[in-house]
Amino acid sequence: MAASKTMTMTEAVSLLAPGSRTLALGGNSIHRVPHAFVHRVAQRTDLRLHLVKTAGAYDIDVLCLAGIVEAVSAGFVGYETEFGLARHYRSAVESGRTEAREHACYTVIASLRAAAYGLPFLPVRALYNSDLPRARGFEWLDDPYGGTERFPAIPAIRPDLAVIHVQHADLHGNGVITGPKNEDLLMARAARHVVLTAEEIVDTDALPVPLDHVDIPSVLVDGVVHAPGGARPGSCAGSYDADADAIRAVQALSSAAELRDYLTAQGGPA
Amino acid sequence: MSTETRDVPREIRIVADAMAVEMARILANSRNAFHGLASPLPAVAIALARSVHNPQLEYLNIAGGVNIAPGSLTVSTCSPAFLAGSESFFSLTDIFDLCARGELDTAFLGGVQVDRRGHINNSVIGPFATPKVKLPGGAGSAAIVPMARHTIVWRTRHDARSIVERCDFVTAAGSVREVVTPLGVLRMEEGELRVAGWFAHASLEEIREHTGFPIRTCDDAGPIAPPGEGELAALDAVDPQGVRYSEF
Repeated sequence: MAASKTMTMTEAVSLLAPGSRTLALGGNSIHRVPHAFVHRVAQRTDLRLHLVKTAGAYDIDVLCLAGIVEAVSAGFVGYETEFGLARHYRSAVESGRTEAREHACYTVIASLRAAAYGLPFLPVRALYNSDLPRARGFEWLDDPYGGTERFPAIPAIRPDLAVIHVQHADLHGNGVITGPKNEDLLMARAARHVVLTAEEIVDTDALPVPLDHVDIPSVLVDGVVHAPGGARPGSCAGSYDADADAIRAVQALSSAAELRDYLTAQGGPA
Repeated sequence: MSTETRDVPREIRIVADAMAVEMARILANSRNAFHGLASPLPAVAIALARSVHNPQLEYLNIAGGVNIAPGSLTVSTCSPAFLAGSESFFSLTDIFDLCARGELDTAFLGGVQVDRRGHINNSVIGPFATPKVKLPGGAGSAAIVPMARHTIVWRTRHDARSIVERCDFVTAAGSVREVVTPLGVLRMEEGELRVAGWFAHASLEEIREHTGFPIRTCDDAGPIAPPGEGELAALDAVDPQGVRYSEF
């Protein structure tokens, strides 16, 4: 019987050694995102993060406000209609503190696929007519088998750590997602290390699906953190909706110091 | 009109309903249609098209939903509600791959700037490396627009700052066919956007006045038929919460 992989949130956050680290965060927009982990990371000042995600919102905005984001590789960074623009991200980029490595969501997926496949890059059939390949320095490949199409080669992104919030996990690190799975299964395969934050930790035979239907298999997972409410103030399918007031409260903050005071008053650091 | 939508100002109701209905009509011959996040009007238009104009239309969304049940849409169009009543599960990655194979028929994408050539910019105002304004990014557009058969761009404002001669940066281009705005529909013809029609609450002159380049008209340009009684009833049935009004 494999040992339990449960750890505290403090231990999970310390998996990010000081310095430049590439971090992939699960979920999409404000839904099923490991925000409790994000809040704890935002308390640190010894990190320079490269964040990877198809479409981020509160997570990227908070970390940019904390002043610890060096670069963001994403297809979209912004809230949807109800909460408007990610203004902390915008000001970090417009002031030059943070580099926006803009992608199409599909090329974020290609970057992660390349890492998961053990390849340095992956060609995609996309980005034709776009200024993005030139702006981002993506090189074009000829078809080595004589076809006439050319393909942009998307460099791999191998996250140092992927953190994925799930509704159910067991002690071994098997994770089961309720609702949209987003790019989380791929992230877990692309990253060097994987942490699950879980609404509930249950016995293996109490997981809501049979083992061969588990979304994130334990073999990929380094740690499991019991984190009820771990996606708040975003939503978590089957558990809770987004907390609009709490999102707006953080949108209204204007400095890293204010953010850290706010997060401390909210109950962290533990 | 449901209780939730009773307080929406009349001008917004008229514009949003006209846009949703016209976007649904454009889907009459599509085999499948996709929308991403921040897309309440497309989500409603697809649900309406499946109800009235094209029941065979396969509806794919960013959450992975396939032909989800109408009536439970939310303002966030990637929320778990976008799996409610789903027939199946087909992830965003699956949709991008489908599109790369040339099998995605119709995609809805937003454009902060849209230019005369039908190019869209969702990336930056000013230089890419040192932007004056960093826009949210094109999401799936740079992958989807070149490879889908047909892209419909929608905008909730029609002004000379956003419908321009030339985009500052081309995030995506290729299959844009219509641009639906609060004033009417622009359509690509002979390599440029032209006025295809104007809503009953607007006019050709108004479109010309609010477009950032001298815009021509399509040969068949004319007023767009207002939403019919049946279309409006179906609109309230698929979107009783009025998420279509949230973009205004």
